[in-house]
Amino acid sequence: MQTILSVGIDAALITLVLALAAFGLAIIYGLVGVINLGHGAMLTLGAYFTWYCINLGIPFFLAIIFAALAVGLVGLIFEHLVIRHFYNQPFETLLLTWGFFLISTEVVKIVFGTSFRNVPSPFPFAIDIGIYELPAYRTFVAGVAVLLLLGTAYVFLKTPIGIIIRAMIQNREMASLLGLNISAAYKLVFTFGSAIAGLAGGLIAPMLSIDPYIGNVFLVRSFFVVIVGGIGQLLGGTLLGSFFIGGTETILALFSSQVVAQVAVFFIAIIILRFRPQGLLRAR
Amino acid sequence: MAELLRTEGLTKRFRGLVANENINFQLESGNVRCIIGPNGAGKTTFLSMISGHQVPSAGRIIYKGQDITRLSVIERARLGIGRKFQTPTVFDNLTVRENVELAVLRLKDNTRSAAMRIDEVLTAVRLDDREIQRMLVKHLSHGQRQWLEIGLLLGNQSELLLLDEPTAGMTSEETVATGRLIRRLAEERNLTVIIIEHDINFIRDLKAPVTVLHLGKVLAEGSFDVVAADSTVRAVYLGDEV
Amino acid sequence: MTFTLRNEPRQPSIFAQVVRGELCVAVVVFALLGLIPLFISGYVIYVLPQYFLFGMLAMSLGLLWGSAGIVSFGQAAFFAIGGYAMGVIMQAGLGEGAGYVGIISGIAASGLVALIAGYFLFSAGVKADYFVLVTLALSIIVEQMAVSQSEVTGGWNGMFVDRMSLWLGPIGTISLYDDAAIYYFILPTLAVVYFALSALKRSRFGKILVGVRENEDRMSALGYNVAFYKTAVFTISGALAGFAGALYATHSNFVSPSLAGVLFSTEVVVWVAIGGRLSLFGALAGGVLVAALSNFLSSISPQYWQLALGFIFILVIVFFKGGLAGAFTNISERTAYRSLQESGNG
Repeated sequence: MQTILSVGIDAALITLVLALAAFGLAIIYGLVGVINLGHGAMLTLGAYFTWYCINLGIPFFLAIIFAALAVGLVGLIFEHLVIRHFYNQPFETLLLTWGFFLISTEVVKIVFGTSFRNVPSPFPFAIDIGIYELPAYRTFVAGVAVLLLLGTAYVFLKTPIGIIIRAMIQNREMASLLGLNISAAYKLVFTFGSAIAGLAGGLIAPMLSIDPYIGNVFLVRSFFVVIVGGIGQLLGGTLLGSFFIGGTETILALFSSQVVAQVAVFFIAIIILRFRPQGLLRAR
Repeated sequence: MAELLRTEGLTKRFRGLVANENINFQLESGNVRCIIGPNGAGKTTFLSMISGHQVPSAGRIIYKGQDITRLSVIERARLGIGRKFQTPTVFDNLTVRENVELAVLRLKDNTRSAAMRIDEVLTAVRLDDREIQRMLVKHLSHGQRQWLEIGLLLGNQSELLLLDEPTAGMTSEETVATGRLIRRLAEERNLTVIIIEHDINFIRDLKAPVTVLHLGKVLAEGSFDVVAADSTVRAVYLGDEV
Repeated sequence: MTFTLRNEPRQPSIFAQVVRGELCVAVVVFALLGLIPLFISGYVIYVLPQYFLFGMLAMSLGLLWGSAGIVSFGQAAFFAIGGYAMGVIMQAGLGEGAGYVGIISGIAASGLVALIAGYFLFSAGVKADYFVLVTLALSIIVEQMAVSQSEVTGGWNGMFVDRMSLWLGPIGTISLYDDAAIYYFILPTLAVVYFALSALKRSRFGKILVGVRENEDRMSALGYNVAFYKTAVFTISGALAGFAGALYATHSNFVSPSLAGVLFSTEVVVWVAIGGRLSLFGALAGGVLVAALSNFLSSISPQYWQLALGFIFILVIVFFKGGLAGAFTNISERTAYRSLQESGNG
C-alpha cells in the first residue's frame, strides 16, 4: 500500500512537472505549428535567468517572473526577426529554432560559463501528510503546473480574446479579410509559449543542477508528450501525454535502469505515433 | 463497348454528414460523362472514392470487371485510374518536360521511347512549344497547368481520367480548346473521362451525357438537353441559367 | 494564342541534381587531395581522412535531404552504430580479414536499423515533421545504449579499435597502421562513394526521389510507391553513414557515445546546410570544411566560433538555401536555387 501510494504520488508529480516543461511547446506547436527545437534552450534560459536574479538578491518568486518575462522577450525578438517570415514552412522553422538553440547555448556558455550552477529550493523540506512525506517544492511546482494549464486552457477556450486568437489562427484568410491582425496573434502565441518555457525553466531549476544543456533533457520528451497527447489538445493532451511519457518512464525505471526506461518510453512513443499520429485524444 | 467503371450503392458518410448516398453509376470505355450539381452535392467525394483517396462507407467499385474497393491510390493508379485534382497538383519547381518525364518514368521505357512519349503527350495537350517545355511549371498560365496535369495522366498511361473542374480559371478560348482536347482524347485514344464541371456552356458543347448529383444522391442522368429540361434539376438550380 | 511568359530566362531546374561542372571540380579536387601525402606528412595526413569520413557522413545526409527532402537529425546514430560494429569485430580477434568483416557489419547493422525504422514509419505515412523528431530520438537512444551497455562498449570511456588491414588473399596483407597508407585507402573510397551517389542521383531512382520531394501526393496518384522510395533512400543513407562510421572507428582507433548523440547529429545538419544540400559535392565540402574549421577554431575560441556557426546556420537557412555550392554556381543555376528558396521545401 505504502509503495503504491508513493509510486502513484511520484508519478503524479513527475507527470505534472513534465506537463509544465512541455506546455510552452504544446502552445507553440499546437497553435502556430512551429516545431520549436529551441524549446529546450528556452527552458535553459529560464533556469539561468532565475539563477542570475537570485544571485542579485531578488526573491525566488519574483525571479521566476522575471525569467518568464525575459525569455518571453527573447522569444518575441526571435519571432520578429526570423520566425514570422516562415510560418508556412515547417522545416525552415524547425531548422531556424535549432539555430536559436545553437546561439542561445553558446551565449549562455559565454556569459555564465559551463560549470554547474545551483538554485536553492525555496521549500527544501517535506510535508508530512500522515501516510506519506510530500516533497514540498515539487508539490508546489505540480500545483503551479495545474493552475497554469487550467488557467491557460480557460483563457484560450472560454474567454473572448482566446477564442478570437484561436479562430484567427485556424482561419488566416478569413481573419485577414476581416482586417484582423494575424501577425499580432502569432506573435502573442509565440511570446506566450516562450514565456511559459522560461517560467518552467525557472521553476524546475531548484530540482536540478543547471548546465547549458539542461533544457534539452526535456526537448524530445516534450515533443513526445505533445504528439502522444495530441497536437492542439492543450490541456487534455499535455496532461495525458505527460502522464504517459512521465508515468511510464517512472514505472519502468522501477524495474530497470533509468536509461532502459527512457529508451523504452521513446520506443513506445514512436509506436504510438505510427499507429495513431493524431495522438491518443480524439480531435475535437 | 465494354463497361469500364461501375459503382454499386456507393456511399460515404462523414461524422453526421452523408456526402454520397447509394450511388449507382456506370460508364463504358471510350465515353465521356459530366458530373454536375450544386456545391456540396458530393461530386468531388465521388471522384475521390473512385481514385482511392476516400474509403467508401458502403458499396462497391468495379473497374474493368475487378472489384477495386479495397485497393489503394497507388494500386488504382497503376491499373489506369488517373486523377486531375481540383487544385492543379503538378511539380511547380520542375520544368514542363520534367513533369511529364516523371509521369512516364514509371513505365520504364528506354530513353528514346520515353522522349518520344513525352513529345507525343505534350503535343496532345497543346504544350508542344519548346520554349514552354523548358519553363518552370509555376510560371505557366493557369490553363496551361491544367493541360499539363492532364498530360501527366496521359504520360502515365491512365485509361480512366477523373477530371475535377478542368476549366476552372481558364479563359473562354482555353475552355473551348479544353473541350476539343477531351473529345479528341476520348475518340482518338479510347480514353474514358469523367468530368466535374460548373461551366454550362462547356458541358453543352461537350455533347456528353450528364449525371446530376444533389445532396449526395443521383438526381438525374441523361443527355444534356434532357437533363436541362428536367423540372427537378431546374428547381435545384433555381436562379442559375440552364 | 495563350499568353506565356517569354521573357523568363531559360531555367535549368533542380531535377538534374548535378550542378554544372561539379563532377569536373570533384575530379580535380580528389586528384589534388591524392597528391598531398607526397608533400606533407605528420598530423595533416593523420587528420584529413577523418574529415573525409565526415564528408562521407555529410553526403549521406545530402542524399537524404537534398534528393528526397527528408530531414534527419539522426545520421550520427548510424555513424556510431557502424563505428561500434567495427569496434566489436576488431576486438573479436578474427585475424587479418577482420577489417572487411567490420566494414560489412557496420554497413549491415546501420542499414538494418534504418530499414526497420524507415519501413515502420514510412509505410504508415508518418509525416515528415514527426519523422524528424523520431530521428532525434534515435540519436538519443543509440547514445544511451552505447553508454549503458558498457561491458561491450566501454560506456563513456569508449572503445579501443585497432587499425584494420587490407587482406588480399594469397598476395598478402597491407597494413594500414601507417597514416599515409590508410589515407590512400580512405580517399579513393570517398571518391568512389561520391561518384556512385552522383550516378544514383541522376538515375531513375534519383529522379523519382525528387518527385517525391516536390509533390508526394502527385507521385502517389501517378502510381509510385512513395513509402518504398523513402524507405530505400533512408536505408541507403543509414548504411552509408554506418560505412563512414566503421572506417572512422578503425582510423581514429576510438569510438565513444558522443559519436551518436544529438549534438553530433545536428552538427551534420549544419555542415550540409552550409555546404549546400542540393549539391553532393557541396555537402561533402561542407562536411570536410566546416568540421575542419570547427576543430581549428575550437582550439582558439570554441564558444565564439560555435556562436558564429549558429548565426551562419540561421543566415544560410534564411537567405542561402543552396549553401556554399549555391553561391559558387553561375547565375542561371542560382535561379534554380532561388526557386528552391521560394518553393519552401525542407
